[in-house]
Amino acid sequence: MRYTQELKHRYYTILAYVGFIFILNAFVLLLPLTALLWIPGEIGLSAGFLIPCALSAVAGLLFWKVFRPRAYTTLSVQEGGVIVLISWLGIFAFSTIPFIIISRLTFTQAVFEVVSGWTTTGLSVIDVTVTPKCILLFRSIIQLFGGAGFAIIMLAWISGPVGPGHSIAEGKSEQLAPHVKESAKLVMMIYTGYAIAGSIAYILAGMSTFDAINHAFAAISTGGFSTKPDSIGAWNSVSVESVSIVLMILGNLNFLTAYILLRGKLRLLLRNGEIHVMALLLPLGMAIIFFEVSSLLYEPLGKAVRVAVFETVSSLTTTGFSTVGYKEWNALGFIVLISLMLIGGGTCSTAGGIKQFRIHLLAKALWWELKRFFLPRTAVMETYIWQGENKEFITDRRIREIAVFIFLYCATFVIGSAIVAYYGYSLRDSLFEFASALGTVGLSVGITSPDAPVLVLWAEIVGMFLGRFEFFVIIISAVKLFKDILDIAR
Amino acid sequence: MKKYKRLYIIIVGCGRLGAYLANRFSHAGHSVVVIDQDMESFEKLSFHFSGFKMEGDATEVQVLKQAKIKNADLLLATTEHDNINLMVAQVGKKIFNVPRVMARVYIPDREDIYRELDIETICPTTIVGDLVADMYAASFFDDNLEEGTS
Amino acid sequence: MNEILIVGGGKIVYFLTRMFIAKGSRVTIINKDKAECTRLARALKATVVYGDGSDPVILEEAGAGAVDTIIAMTPNDQDNLVICQLAIMRFSVPRSLALVSDPDNEVVFHELGISAFSTTRIISNIIEQKAGFEEIANLIPVGEGKVTLAEVILDETSPVIGKSLREIDMPYQSLIGYVLRGEKPIVPRGDTVLNAGDRLIVIALPDQYGQVISLLTRSS
Repeated sequence: MRYTQELKHRYYTILAYVGFIFILNAFVLLLPLTALLWIPGEIGLSAGFLIPCALSAVAGLLFWKVFRPRAYTTLSVQEGGVIVLISWLGIFAFSTIPFIIISRLTFTQAVFEVVSGWTTTGLSVIDVTVTPKCILLFRSIIQLFGGAGFAIIMLAWISGPVGPGHSIAEGKSEQLAPHVKESAKLVMMIYTGYAIAGSIAYILAGMSTFDAINHAFAAISTGGFSTKPDSIGAWNSVSVESVSIVLMILGNLNFLTAYILLRGKLRLLLRNGEIHVMALLLPLGMAIIFFEVSSLLYEPLGKAVRVAVFETVSSLTTTGFSTVGYKEWNALGFIVLISLMLIGGGTCSTAGGIKQFRIHLLAKALWWELKRFFLPRTAVMETYIWQGENKEFITDRRIREIAVFIFLYCATFVIGSAIVAYYGYSLRDSLFEFASALGTVGLSVGITSPDAPVLVLWAEIVGMFLGRFEFFVIIISAVKLFKDILDIAR
Repeated sequence: MKKYKRLYIIIVGCGRLGAYLANRFSHAGHSVVVIDQDMESFEKLSFHFSGFKMEGDATEVQVLKQAKIKNADLLLATTEHDNINLMVAQVGKKIFNVPRVMARVYIPDREDIYRELDIETICPTTIVGDLVADMYAASFFDDNLEEGTS
Repeated sequence: MNEILIVGGGKIVYFLTRMFIAKGSRVTIINKDKAECTRLARALKATVVYGDGSDPVILEEAGAGAVDTIIAMTPNDQDNLVICQLAIMRFSVPRSLALVSDPDNEVVFHELGISAFSTTRIISNIIEQKAGFEEIANLIPVGEGKVTLAEVILDETSPVIGKSLREIDMPYQSLIGYVLRGEKPIVPRGDTVLNAGDRLIVIALPDQYGQVISLLTRSS
């Protein structure tokens, strides 16, 4: 009995913070109305945003006022996870409203688009040629905020009873500075800098201002939504593609790595494991695709090179911009892209996938195993990797955690691909599309569309959600939430 | 309205006192770096701690430099070993000009020397000892009075 | 009679004490380990005090107030620092010396007012420079490591045999301080000619040291 009392109080605090996030979310819902600057005519659609904005604000204020803890309460990591879960579900719910009202999507389609946006995937079920600018801007904005880990930044900022351990709950724990607020501030600054620089770069490369802003947001968040159905391919421009490549790579860099880069300490970057992985995989991927795929499909040779380079970067960084369709690609090309999508981008960045760091660590672990055979039997070998400026000694436990994660990832990949294949799609298409969803990439062979089977869309939705939050937070928080609800209801 | 300033604090030694101070300062919004030779000692840091943790021997100048001691506003030496605390405090104060430096010293006799060197020290032995002695000195007096009147 | 107080233990302290005693000094040793104290006490004609040398009470008991020299040779730099500081400030010991393991601490200690030497630096100097230079003996860093002193023996293959000092192109801040010929020490002048078998006392900056040695011993 007392336990339930206590549990209720904990949930009051949890809901209070969820409320706070809803209030902030209300502002995000208002931002797309700046599209009215371009198309004042769309003002008639503004209700589509004002309604959810109001709902979010009201719900938020209600939660905050009613549940606001009078006394100082500290929350645990698990409770932080529950806040993350509930907040995101709420944010998704509010965000579907504009799509349902304005674009008249079905519930499934709206949820899909919304989740694809917030998880910075980029797969889409809408026809951008008939979509109002405010909706397009909305999609890009939610990718921008989703990439930054909206919830975590805000909570780190207030850094009240939910301490910085919360960032671990979101799967992002990076220390740029010796205090979480400072780190959060730096991350925001870097991110904002990217957004502004990216927009300007795109304008200079020849895009309209509206397109430039949208694509800059989508690029640095490694999201991949585009205002054109052919994505970046619509411009067929070397400069646009180059700007994209730079932004995609920047977006997929671990924020700590980016910070080191911006401070000019290039020497440290040379030791960085993720940089090694990129330095190996990108050229390799580009070479294979160029020689075996694009040079056979595209004319002239320059175009073939561009395609090889662009598609490789887009898949590894899990952005999802594309310059071509994949229908004519051969199996080898598919294997390369799928592998890159599974491997993914840097940890503690906006990218998805298994993450380069884990791949790097396992590769290193393999190397250490081999080395061990050549050392004297009683020799002690301390295994480390470089993290920024410091050595981090790797324990068996760390390797175990990574191995388990990769197992979970692969299992989910197989199950998800199976669900897609069940509806009659080919092997290569199913694997491709689901890898894209799970890795929050956004490249598509065409399976994802407004009339895709509902279950396929839901499988992808679950894949995107689990992939973005790296499984454990969601699963553990969901289980906890479920158990707690049962306990309280009893 | 008091103006809040974020300080850069280095704490050497993540024992009970060090961890307590680290948690408290980090939670209050300051930038904290904790140095300790034993990785496991960092487990004493709470959920609220968002500073840097450095594994190393603070009697090595390299380690202090890596912790960016030049930028420190406050240096607290709280290891279990007086001598380490005293050395770190002096290096911090005299060599790196950290504005405020404090060393915990268990052996009371050593304190005076360090006062002379202008190092702030805190001696749990004397502080607690004096506190306890005062507590009982007071009650000792009351008993006496009672006896006197009876 | 020289009164010396050493804080520390192990073989080095043992042999050092033996040397001091042989030269007529009186030595007291402070050590934290009971078994080590017993060993030292049995092997040496020195007073051995059991305790923590960085504790003023122990230092007092060991007679720090009356010694001429204190050498802090514990394995921990921080202990050696405190020992020497206490010796100077509390006990006014005229000469104190601290051993440091971390070569960077040599400078740190000096800035804090304590003379220190780093065995690490000495050993590394020897290894670095002794390799290949069999003619070199007794490499000593002096002046807080800012200057190096060494003894170089000229054998027949030395390129400077038969040359006068003036003719030898020594690097700017180095010099040949003394020439030992047979039994005679010669203070060299510009016109002093070097012979095979001469032992030169060379004074140089550590980073020019290699150059100087090459000059004196390698035939080009």
